[in-house]
Amino acid sequence: MIIASQKPLGEIMDMVEGAQKILILGCRGCVAVCSAGGDKEVRILASAVRLGRAKRGASVTIDEDTLVRQCDPEYLEGLNDRAKEYDCVVSMACGVGVNFVAERCPDVKVMPALNTTFYGANLSSGEWKEMCEGCGACVLHLTGGLCPVARCAKSLSNGPCGGSQGGRCEIDKDVPCVWHLIYERLHKFKEADRLEAIMPMRDWRPAGHGGPRHRMREDLLP
Amino acid sequence: MISGSNLEKVLRSGEFAVTGELGPPKSGAMDVVRKKAQILKRYVDAVNITDCQTAIVRMSSLTAGLIALSEGVEPVMQMTCRDRNRIGMQADILGAYALGIRNLLCLTGDHQKFGNHPEAKGVFDMDSIQLLQMIRRMRDEKRFQCGEEIKSDAPLLFLGAAANPFADPFEYRPIRLKKKVDAGANFIQTQIIYNVEKFKEFMKRVVDLGVAERVFILAGVTPPKSVGMARYMKNFVPGLDVPDEVLKRLKDAKDVREEGINIVVDIINEVREIEGIAGVHVMAIEWEEAVPEIVKRAGLYPRPEQAIEPVLMSNASIEEATDKVREEVEARLKKEIEDAKREAEASRALVLKEQERSSSKIKELNASISEKDKIIAQKEERINQLLKAIEAEKARLSELRESKAQVISREVMSSDDVTTQETLMMEDGEVYKKQLDFALNSMELGLNALKNVLGLNDDAYEALKRFIEAEFVLKGGVSGEVIPKRPETVVEPAPVAKKVEEKPEKAPQIEETEAREPAKAVEEPQVEPSKEATEAHIPPTPDGLSEEEWRVKYVIRLVARGNCALYEKDQDEAIKAFEEALSIDPDNEKAKIGLERAKKGEFPRFEQPRDVEEESPEGEPSKEEPSGEPEEEKGAKEEVEEVTVKAAEEVKEEEVKEKEEKETEEAVEVKEEAAIPEKKAEPTKVEEIKVGVEFLFNTPKLPLKDRIGDIPEDIFMEKATGSIREVVIGDGAKAITVGGSSALPFYLFEGSMPHAPKIAYDVLDCEPEEMPEPLKKYFDDCLSDPVKWAQKCVSEYGAEAICLSLVSTDPNGMNRASSEAAKVAKDVADAIDCPLILWGCGNAEKDTETLREVTALITDKKVCIGPLTDANYRNLGATAMAFGLPVIAATPIDVNLAKQLNILLENLGMGLDHILMDPSIGAVGYGLEYTYSVMERIRLAALMQQDDKLQAPFICNVGREVWKAKETRLESDALLGNQEVRSILLEAITASTLLLAGGELVIMRHPKAVALTEATIRGFTG
Amino acid sequence: MANMAKIVGFCCNYTSQVSKDVLEREGVIGEGVEFRRLPCTGRLEIPMLLDAFTEGAEAVFVAGCRIEGCHNKSGSLRASKRVKYAKALLEELGIDGARLEMFFTKRGSTADIVDAVKVMEDRIKS
Repeated sequence: MIIASQKPLGEIMDMVEGAQKILILGCRGCVAVCSAGGDKEVRILASAVRLGRAKRGASVTIDEDTLVRQCDPEYLEGLNDRAKEYDCVVSMACGVGVNFVAERCPDVKVMPALNTTFYGANLSSGEWKEMCEGCGACVLHLTGGLCPVARCAKSLSNGPCGGSQGGRCEIDKDVPCVWHLIYERLHKFKEADRLEAIMPMRDWRPAGHGGPRHRMREDLLP
Repeated sequence: MISGSNLEKVLRSGEFAVTGELGPPKSGAMDVVRKKAQILKRYVDAVNITDCQTAIVRMSSLTAGLIALSEGVEPVMQMTCRDRNRIGMQADILGAYALGIRNLLCLTGDHQKFGNHPEAKGVFDMDSIQLLQMIRRMRDEKRFQCGEEIKSDAPLLFLGAAANPFADPFEYRPIRLKKKVDAGANFIQTQIIYNVEKFKEFMKRVVDLGVAERVFILAGVTPPKSVGMARYMKNFVPGLDVPDEVLKRLKDAKDVREEGINIVVDIINEVREIEGIAGVHVMAIEWEEAVPEIVKRAGLYPRPEQAIEPVLMSNASIEEATDKVREEVEARLKKEIEDAKREAEASRALVLKEQERSSSKIKELNASISEKDKIIAQKEERINQLLKAIEAEKARLSELRESKAQVISREVMSSDDVTTQETLMMEDGEVYKKQLDFALNSMELGLNALKNVLGLNDDAYEALKRFIEAEFVLKGGVSGEVIPKRPETVVEPAPVAKKVEEKPEKAPQIEETEAREPAKAVEEPQVEPSKEATEAHIPPTPDGLSEEEWRVKYVIRLVARGNCALYEKDQDEAIKAFEEALSIDPDNEKAKIGLERAKKGEFPRFEQPRDVEEESPEGEPSKEEPSGEPEEEKGAKEEVEEVTVKAAEEVKEEEVKEKEEKETEEAVEVKEEAAIPEKKAEPTKVEEIKVGVEFLFNTPKLPLKDRIGDIPEDIFMEKATGSIREVVIGDGAKAITVGGSSALPFYLFEGSMPHAPKIAYDVLDCEPEEMPEPLKKYFDDCLSDPVKWAQKCVSEYGAEAICLSLVSTDPNGMNRASSEAAKVAKDVADAIDCPLILWGCGNAEKDTETLREVTALITDKKVCIGPLTDANYRNLGATAMAFGLPVIAATPIDVNLAKQLNILLENLGMGLDHILMDPSIGAVGYGLEYTYSVMERIRLAALMQQDDKLQAPFICNVGREVWKAKETRLESDALLGNQEVRSILLEAITASTLLLAGGELVIMRHPKAVALTEATIRGFTG
Repeated sequence: MANMAKIVGFCCNYTSQVSKDVLEREGVIGEGVEFRRLPCTGRLEIPMLLDAFTEGAEAVFVAGCRIEGCHNKSGSLRASKRVKYAKALLEELGIDGARLEMFFTKRGSTADIVDAVKVMEDRIKS
């Protein structure tokens, strides 16, 4: 799931400065699940913006709405016309949603309310952790299912660095050393010899260093 | 051997290696690195240069490594994967290798979070193991990471990696080390060791894995500077294991630092015993001073000798190195001098003996010479007798022949058939032939006698015989005058060894001419008073001169002295000199005139001597230029006089009236004769100067061996060890060769100078905006047409070479397009057949463009192009090489820069035999002495110090420099004298001086200055 | 002199049945104080707090059960977390977070509520 978090309100207030009529548009996709841009968050943001505007001594009209997803065209139908009456739309979707709104609704001035952060898992209510980086060249089969690219501070490919101590990463005692975890898991599966082979240098193009990525599945194309 | 680094050598030799660590400063302070390097120098085999350790920005490891290298400390450059991607890293690796880095430690690097820029994007394109693999591939397979080939100079680096035996998981650590070795690590430096027991366990596993024999492992140690530091390391540095025992030792110690050093020495001694340990890596960060102490106490001092050769050096270290070398050299020289002194003293004794011996020998020889002189005199007498006999015989024969000849000539007139004529001759000549045979027989007899007397060889005899025969047959009837004269010229030099006679022979000829034409010098006192006066001699005949010759010469000197006295307004002295001259040679016209003037008190005017130089030897042109018609000569003479007169009028109008009248008359005369074109007269004028100078140089020369007397040769002779390369300019028959000498300029007694210096005429490729009058008047008709100008130089002034200055291309001036300038150059090249030099405007870029265009156009001629400077030598050098053209390498008055440019050109592939050095010259009063000094030093280095990069000939662009001097523009006045004379002398003296400094090819403008300089060259080269 | 500062208090149904009119009449609290009754503070939503400020409140407080004795077990705890979150939002908007506070009050204790109002009044003054 895509994890995001709300931008500081001050930043959002500056974005919408001068807008008289605002539509705050949530998304019921990932950001609703990670409690960053669902219906509830839309309401909170709307209240906060009203308060912020009031504090700046100005009035504002804010409408609230939440789409099923902002990353599918079917849910954006009609948004362009509808949004014309607003000075701006504040999207509470992830970056994908904001981009898609911008691309699909040429007349809409769309603002992001969230910082889209990572691909994470929900450890418990209110806690999410990065597990994947979308590097486009998965090596998880070699590393016991644990990702060294996303989860090692230096994205090492060949085992724990000298800073691994007691299973913890040197950058933060709260961060486990993923290579230590990999070592232990591979041992468990008696695959520790995998760690003796040298993993070759990575091709970073699928990770986005080769330009924006794009996927197609011919059989599904209209 | 992989890289040949010192570290590698030490490790491979089996010696226990010691490396140190140097943290570059958080600034650009080079001195910090130098100081740290100095501390570590000679105590370690190599020094690790950290790469922004703990992610704090510091001077780059490459740079600091180079500074250390320049201090004579071999660096182990550390490289982390944190800050660069594979492109940047490979680039730096190539650069590091190029600049002399030979050891590289590959690290992943501390996370940027720990540093002073936690916001930075960590690159980590690869990890340390992949880095090792990448570099090993670059090194061993000559391939970049992408697989592309490294075409040359792959980075031969000794690769290192780090290992932390104390990090977790412990069991995995030896495997990871093995991975690094598999990936290409040649040596390993470990994390700081305090827990030796754990390290031993680690090493045991490493040895068991079979890795220890494949890699050199250096154990890392650090002296704890304080208890606090030890505690910090224990608690806060990840992967560092500091046992409590170490803390306790420090706490209990009186002197913590001392104890810190002790702890490290103990650890070193312990780890040395561990199997697989090849050395220690002493990390005393910010406590470098401890290293020498640690190394000494651990018994690891001294370190094996190392020869570090840094590619780049700091000034300070260069100075240091130079000082060291200087000391060595001085010591060596001192010893050599001492030895030489001793030898010299010994040889002096020898020489003295030799001197005695040789002086007695010289006496003997002198005696035999005078004896031989007598014999010669006798022989001469007999020759005269014989000649008279021949003459008589000839006269008789010619009488006989005359009658026959008349018949023949009649036949010839009437007949148009040659064969008939011959037949007639044969038939009619029956009687005549008998007589002829008889005459020839007797002549042959006479000649045989002559041959015996003179000791002629067969060739000479044959030549003489043929000559007389020819003379006789062809000019049969011509009476006495010719015949007695010829034998004189032929016979005289022939008998006595030719070489000896050569020099004195010329002198009398000139004196003869001098004596023959005194009337022409009526108005002016004699030539070069000073020169003559300084050589005052006493009457006894010097060696090498016949009495008659000496007499003539002495008279001339007396006349000169008289003229000199006249000039100095010393009436008595003048009268005395002239009278003495007349007493020896009563017919001497000059003396007579001089005496007359002296008696009258007529003294020459102030500026005359200058003009005299130009004017006096007027009689000569006929000799130099046999075709010179008398009328032209006269015109020329009078024109010169006109100049004199005008100048005189300007300066001193109130001169003696009598004189004035005379002058006015002459002036009028000149005007009447103005019909004679000026141009025509000029070459003659130039010749005049030539002769004047030649006269100077042809005054008797004392052979070197007479001048040195008894001084042994080895005392003054200093033969060159090198020689200047020859450079050919131009092609075909008119090509000129410069350089080649193996002695200092004109030191002909020390070596050879196979090619006399050459002079090229400067031609500008567009009409100059301003040109000093004295020069302009010679080229006024062709200033706007470079082709005509060049042709004039060649046809009228006999230029041996032309330099076409492409001044019009200057971007700060006319900025003419290169293509246009090239066309002009092409036209000039086509119009002349002598060598052509093309001299650009001095703007490196424009010159590149122009000269390329030119070379593209002029394909059939080997022109010389320049100037090549450090800014454009690559492009132009390549162009020149492509066409095989010689070039001018121009540098701004500096020995080293000149040498450097030569080296750069050589590196490009150009031989010194295609390079002319332009050292940048200055005219008299405009830095000539500076130029001279630099040229002299370059030449001395080339000839005496085996500096073969400087053995290229010089080219000096004299004309350009001289003719921009203000002295060439100021009009004539009393103080500076005649403008033209002054300008000519300025150019000629500049040129001559530079010739003395070694100039091989000078570029000049004024025909007269050229003539003077040529005369100088002739005079010096004999 | 009566305090006119506008203060909004969100009160739990179980903690305080106190009537604003009574207290006002007694002169215990100022005219500007307004109580909004919630079935449980667990029902509190962040927009309520923010909107109260938007409507002109100078200070807002929430009075819920004592944490260990909440009628609905964790209602007041949830409220306190939301208050904390809302405080952060206020700060982000440049409003002093101290103008919003969570009070854990004894069941049925009017005095606790009055104290809370006093605390907030003091905060407004300072």
